[in-house]
Amino acid sequence: MTDSASNDRTEQMEIDASAKWPVLVFFAAGLFWLLAGGLLQLGASIQLHTPSFLSECVWFTHGRLAPAAQNALVYGWGMNAGFAFGLWLMARLSATTLRHGGWLFVAAKFWNLGILLGVAGILGGYSTSFELLEMPRFVTLLLLAAYALIAAWSVTTFSIRNTENVFASQWYLFGAAFWFPWLYAVAQVMLFRVPVHGVLQPVVEAWYVQGLYGLWFVPVALAAAYYLLPKILGKPIANYYLAPLAFWWLALASAFAGSSRLIGGPVPVWIPTLGVVANFLLVVPSVIIALNLFGTLAGRWRALGGSVTLRFTALSMGGFVLAAAANLLLALRGVAEHLQFTLAAELRDWLMFYACFSTAMFGAAYFILPRLTEREWRSAALVKAHVGATVIGVLFLVVGLAAGGWEQGHLLNNGALAFSEVTKGMTFWFTWRSLGFGLLLIGHLAFLVNFAWIAFPLAPRDTVVAEFRNPPDLELPAAPAKEGHA
Amino acid sequence: MRNGLLLFLGVFCALALSWAGLLMTANRQLGHLGQFKDPIDESINPAPLSGVANEGRLVYQDLGCVTCHTQQVRGEGYGADLARKWGQRGGYARDYIRDQTVFFGSSRIGPDLRNEGNADLHAGVDAAYLYRLLYAPQSVAPGTNMPAYPFLFDVHPVKGRQPSDYAVRITGRAAPPDGYEVVPTPRARQLVTYLLSLKDTYDYPIEKSRNAPGAEPKEGGH
Repeated sequence: MTDSASNDRTEQMEIDASAKWPVLVFFAAGLFWLLAGGLLQLGASIQLHTPSFLSECVWFTHGRLAPAAQNALVYGWGMNAGFAFGLWLMARLSATTLRHGGWLFVAAKFWNLGILLGVAGILGGYSTSFELLEMPRFVTLLLLAAYALIAAWSVTTFSIRNTENVFASQWYLFGAAFWFPWLYAVAQVMLFRVPVHGVLQPVVEAWYVQGLYGLWFVPVALAAAYYLLPKILGKPIANYYLAPLAFWWLALASAFAGSSRLIGGPVPVWIPTLGVVANFLLVVPSVIIALNLFGTLAGRWRALGGSVTLRFTALSMGGFVLAAAANLLLALRGVAEHLQFTLAAELRDWLMFYACFSTAMFGAAYFILPRLTEREWRSAALVKAHVGATVIGVLFLVVGLAAGGWEQGHLLNNGALAFSEVTKGMTFWFTWRSLGFGLLLIGHLAFLVNFAWIAFPLAPRDTVVAEFRNPPDLELPAAPAKEGHA
Repeated sequence: MRNGLLLFLGVFCALALSWAGLLMTANRQLGHLGQFKDPIDESINPAPLSGVANEGRLVYQDLGCVTCHTQQVRGEGYGADLARKWGQRGGYARDYIRDQTVFFGSSRIGPDLRNEGNADLHAGVDAAYLYRLLYAPQSVAPGTNMPAYPFLFDVHPVKGRQPSDYAVRITGRAAPPDGYEVVPTPRARQLVTYLLSLKDTYDYPIEKSRNAPGAEPKEGGH
């Protein structure tokens, strides 16, 4: 081991120690919401084929349960996990410790209090009915303030970096840190403080929804993939020189892509057309990113067997490609005529949020948590259960939502068919959807148990069994990556 | 890409461009869209919602009806919305200026409701039908997966009080026990008033001509 390598190692341990508790707290909160949101989502899904389920109670009527579940998952699980991973990675890549982490606990408390009030507010009847902005207005400032604190830590860590180069993951994290509050604040102002007129509201809504998925969740997932792949495989990103182009192109085009959701709607035709053009433009960065990531993995597929993180990362990369394809397909006028308003449109959002983002966060968690806690995962069986349930669940839902969406579009566009026939034809696919969500929930439960064991162990350290390779083997690849990152 | 300031400016511009190019441009075009006064019968269109219907809009919003019901009708030649009698024509932006909150929706697990109150399209849809639909969906729409909304109704014994004028007549399995009546709460009445107010019947001359299919080009014409 060379001197510089051992220095790096010490430095990394310092950084990990500084980030340990903020990361654990955000992950723990995220997992709570993953389970809670997953249960609500499963309940809402069951209601579609068994309408009497929980329908007696106004708090759990489908129109409240479904958005409450989505908000809990997106802001509760998604954002908390993104914070945990983003803060840690920003510190690592900037080769500087996360300072004054105590403030992050304050931020975490306020953020999660905001989500709790927001989700309860939706269930209690204070929903605003705008997709992903359903949480009542009184939590807006709470969320924004908490987010500002978290993003400020990420950005400050970046600005006091001790490195020459700025790596791709840092661009994506840096961008995401700023995009969310802007998107959220603009949407809040334009929809609630100084509401715009008529059909402008859905335009703002579409811009926000696509922005949230495309400019927050997808970039954070990409930050994970760009970091974890070279780190674990011990080789640089393939065709890295193209990555900056992909970043800027993706940022510009994603911001416009949302309006293609309004194809065929009562808005001036230029609005959806702009979105269609943006979705076509997105082909280029998507291909570059796929080349970067799959090119790095090419020839090393066998490494997937040895690393849980790598398996989740590969799944996330697959999710990214599918999400890009789904975005493009749904932006085609002919396809949108058929699939708009069906399960296939839900699939597009779900691919970005779950198949691309959530799986990346699972992969990152399997990488980060053993390093932070300096312990091993307690149960290999639970890890396998999580990987297995996620892989099968994702495939199951991709097939089900795509085929179900196709069927739904087919039935809806047959004007001669009574609506009850449409519902009857869809019952099978709604049931399929519930099974898929149930399957994923099993994986989440397995992950939660393992997380609790590693993060807050009750047993003394020496009874813990080692199941995987020691982290240091992964830390020091045989051939150091060309792109200088810590 | 080593300069943090440049990175920040780029990140800012990427989003600011879409804000200006999409949202503000659309706002400039549509922000001042007003009602239209018909030159012949001097009606003002779209007519504003009545007070009760506006209360019903809030009920619609808080129950999350938008989760399963869209309120946007796609025009001729695009989807089967017109064949399904969800509208007499495709929607115009001007139709929506009366809505304080626009419930476009993005999922059609249930039918579109933009013209739910349009008697020309839905002959059987009146207040009594909607109350029954809300209280016991299966009694009027067998096989539907719409949940019941029993909490919008008050079921109480008739004995010892005057029967309500608004009591919902329900027969079959969902019928209340003998001596009981099902009375819609004020929230249910507001919601039904709102639903019955949903109709885009007036066809605006400007929008109509703009959305009409283009004339076949004349032979030899330019």
